[in-house]
Amino acid sequence: MKREAATATGAGKPLPLAGLRVLDLGQFIAMPFCTLWLAWLGAEVIVVESRRHLTSRTAPPFVPGHEGDPDASGYFNLLYSSKKSCTVDMTTAAGRDLVRRLAGVVDVMVDNFSTGVLEKLGLGYDVISGINPGIIAVSCGAFGRSGPMKNARGLHSAVNLFSGVADVTGYPGGAPRILGGVLPDPLSGTYASFAIMAALHHRNRTGCGQFIDLAMYEAMMTLIPEAVIDLTLHDRDPVRIGNRDRVKAPHGIYRCRDADTWVAISVESERDWVALCRAAGHVEWQADPRFADAAARRANVGALELALEGWTRTMEPQRATAALQAQGVAAGPVLRCDQLLDDEQLQHRKAVITTEHPTAGVQRQLGLPWRMDSAGVEYRRAPLLGEHTHEVLTTLLGVSEAEYARLDADGVLS
Amino acid sequence: MSAEAQALPATAATGPLAGLRVVELGDGTAGPYAAKLLGDFGAEVVKIESPGGDSARQRGPFADDRPDPEASGLFLYLNTNKYGIVLDLDGAAGRAALDRLLARADIFVTNLPAERLEAAGVAPAALRARHPALIVTTISPFGSDGPWVERRGDELVTYAMGGLAYSTPGIPDAANDLEAEPPLHPACFAAETIAGLAAASATLAAVHNRARTGAGCHVELSQHAAVAALQHRDITTYSYLGGTYNRLLNPTTIGRMPNFYLPCKDGYVAIAAVIDIHWERLVEAMGSPDWARSAAFANGAARTANWIELRRRLIEWTTTVTGDELYALAGERQLPVFPFYPVRKMVESGHVHARHSVVDIEVGGRRARMPAAPVAMQGTPWALRRRAPRLGEHTAMILRDWLEAGNVRSGGAL
Repeated sequence: MKREAATATGAGKPLPLAGLRVLDLGQFIAMPFCTLWLAWLGAEVIVVESRRHLTSRTAPPFVPGHEGDPDASGYFNLLYSSKKSCTVDMTTAAGRDLVRRLAGVVDVMVDNFSTGVLEKLGLGYDVISGINPGIIAVSCGAFGRSGPMKNARGLHSAVNLFSGVADVTGYPGGAPRILGGVLPDPLSGTYASFAIMAALHHRNRTGCGQFIDLAMYEAMMTLIPEAVIDLTLHDRDPVRIGNRDRVKAPHGIYRCRDADTWVAISVESERDWVALCRAAGHVEWQADPRFADAAARRANVGALELALEGWTRTMEPQRATAALQAQGVAAGPVLRCDQLLDDEQLQHRKAVITTEHPTAGVQRQLGLPWRMDSAGVEYRRAPLLGEHTHEVLTTLLGVSEAEYARLDADGVLS
Repeated sequence: MSAEAQALPATAATGPLAGLRVVELGDGTAGPYAAKLLGDFGAEVVKIESPGGDSARQRGPFADDRPDPEASGLFLYLNTNKYGIVLDLDGAAGRAALDRLLARADIFVTNLPAERLEAAGVAPAALRARHPALIVTTISPFGSDGPWVERRGDELVTYAMGGLAYSTPGIPDAANDLEAEPPLHPACFAAETIAGLAAASATLAAVHNRARTGAGCHVELSQHAAVAALQHRDITTYSYLGGTYNRLLNPTTIGRMPNFYLPCKDGYVAIAAVIDIHWERLVEAMGSPDWARSAAFANGAARTANWIELRRRLIEWTTTVTGDELYALAGERQLPVFPFYPVRKMVESGHVHARHSVVDIEVGGRRARMPAAPVAMQGTPWALRRRAPRLGEHTAMILRDWLEAGNVRSGGAL
C-alpha cells in the first residue's frame, strides 16, 4: 500500500477499524462524510464511481489550471481522503453484477441515492442481505426510506426547512433562516458513523447484520429538543431571538472595529457580569438598575447590547476576547471558515491535517475532532479516478486478468 | 414505583450496545447527550449527579413555566434510558464509590472541567493508570492542552469559533446586509449536541479498538474542534483557492442561479433550478410567463448574471402561492422546491407520525413529545426503556447491584 502521502497520528498505534471493509455508494456529502471518518479510523473504504456519471469530481473548487480534471476537484479530494476508487459503470448489467459481488465481501455498505434507486439497480438490502446476511447497510435520505414523504426531493435546505431547525434560527422578529455549512449532510454522516459502529458491536456479539434507515431531518431534529417539547407541552410556537438566550444576558455576537468582524460573548452568572464590566472598563454598568441582574438585563436587552457594542466596536475580535477571557468571561472571535485552518488552537491539537496529492499538491483540511492515547488515525490522500479498480477486482473478487481485460474492453470499468 | 413511572414502557435491554456499562459524570447537554446515545442504543448507563443536580434540571421547558428540577423538559429528554445516582464527590467516600463503579464500567463519559475531575480523583491519566481497560471520554470546550486550554467556552463561543455562526444564514439563504445581519447561532444547544454525538462515535471507535487489543483509551474531544470538523464545503475553497469566505447573497456565495430562499404567500420556500431541465419545469409551473422566455434568462449564464432581476420576478410569483401549493407543484413536476415547516407543522405531519420521529414524554405530569431515534436501526429498534431518573432515584439500588457495598453508605457517600 502506498503510504508516501500519509499523515499518521499516533504512528505505530493500532487503527480502531483496521480490517473493516466498507462499500461506499455515497453521493455529495452526507454518506461520503460518514465513510471519511471510518477511513481515517482504519477502515478500507471502496468507492464505486464511473467516468460516465461523475458527480463530486465535477464540483469546484479545482486546482487552478486543472479546471474540469476529475483528479483536481477539491470538493472530491477532501471528502475522499484515505479511500479507494473503483470505477464500475452501474448502468451496465455486468457493472451491477460486480457491485453485487463487492457487496458480498464487505462488512458495511452505505448509500444516499434517491429512495428506490438502489432497488432499481438490483442492489437493495433484500437482495444484498441474501448474498451477505451479516452486512450492515445504511441508506440515507432527506426524509428517510419510509413514510409518505420518502420520495420528496430534498437538498440540505429542505432538511433545514422541514426539521424545525430553521424555525429557531433567525433575527428577533424576523424570518426563519437556513443554517450554514450544509450542516444536515455532515451531521447525518456523523450519526451514520455512530450507528455503523453500534451495529458492528451488535454483530460481533450475535453475528447479525442489519438495515439502517437514516432520515436527515431526524438527525437535525436532535438539535432542537427544547422547541419540540415546548410546542407540544404548551402549544407554543418558537420565537426567534437572534443570538440571545432565554436565560443568559448578555449572550450574543457583537460588532467589532473592522467591517464584518465579530465577537461572541456569553455571560452565565453575576460573577461573569461583574467581570465583563471590568474587562470593558465600564464598572459603572454594575450600578445601572437596568442591568442589575439577568432578568433586568433580559428586559433591557436592547440598551444592554447598545452599551456593550459601544465597547466592542472599538476593538478587534481577538483583543476583545483576550480582555474578557483575562477576567474569566466566555468569549471568542467569530471565525470564518477560511480562518479555521489557521486557528492556533485547532493547529495545536493537530486537528488541521495535511495531505499531498499528485494533482492537487499539498492541501489542508480538518481531521477528527478527538485524540486517542492508545489508538492511531491515518490521513491519506484521495484516490485518483479508478486508481484501485484493478487491485479491488482482482484481489477482493478474484477476477482473472483475462476477465478484467474483457470487462475493461466492454466499457464496464469506465 | 409511582404511577408516572408505570405509565412509561419498560423494555428489556435489546439495543446494539447491550452489555456495555457506562458511567456518566455530565452536565448540561454535551456529556449527557453522548451518554444518552449510548443508553438509547442499549448500553447500561449510570448517571452521577452532585447533590445539587445537573444544571439542565434548571433549564426547562417546565410545565406552565413553573421551575421544578424533576420536570425540566431538556433534562428529561437528555437523560432517558439512564439510571441516576447522587454522589458527593467533595467527600472521600463519594470519590471511593465513584472509583469502584468505574472499576466495573467499560466507559466513563464526562464533560466536567479538568479541575473538577482532578478534585474528584478521576483525572484521565490517573484513571487510565488505575483502570487500564476503561475507555475515558472527556469533552471540553477547546481540548486538554494548547493556547486556549485555560480559556472559557460554552455553546455560543465554541459554535462561533467552529465557523458555523459566520456561515449562517447559509445557502440558498445568505446575508443581504453584512452590518444588519450578524453571524447567527440557532436558539438551541447545537454545538453541545454535535460534541456529544462526536464523542459517542469516538467512544465506539475506542470500544472496537479495545475489542482487538484489550487496551482502554482516553478519548479526548474538543467541542470547538467538533463543530469545525463538520465544515467541509467552505473549507475546501479556502485550501484550494485562498481568499475570504463571502456570506453575502450573490453568485460567488450561492453558485448558479436560481438557487434562492424566498417568501411565499404564507411562509417561505427554497427554490433550486440551476440546471436547464429544472429551469424549464419551473417556467412551466409558473405558467410560462413572457419574462422567463426573454433573452435575459435564456441560459444558465444569463440567469446567473441577471440574478437580481430573476429573484425579483420569482418573488412576484412565489408570493401568490402557498407553501403547500408549491410543495404539490414540486411533486407533480419533479422540481427541487421545498417550503418552510414551522416546528408545529413538522411535528403534526403525517410523515413524522408514520416514522415515529417524535415520542411521548411526561413533563411535570403533563404529556409532551420529544425527538425519538436519530437513526432507525431495523435489527435493533430504538426503545424508550426508562424515563430520566429523579435526583438520586437509583443510588441505593446501583450501589447495591454494582458494588454490593454496605459500607459505602455508612461512609457518607450519599
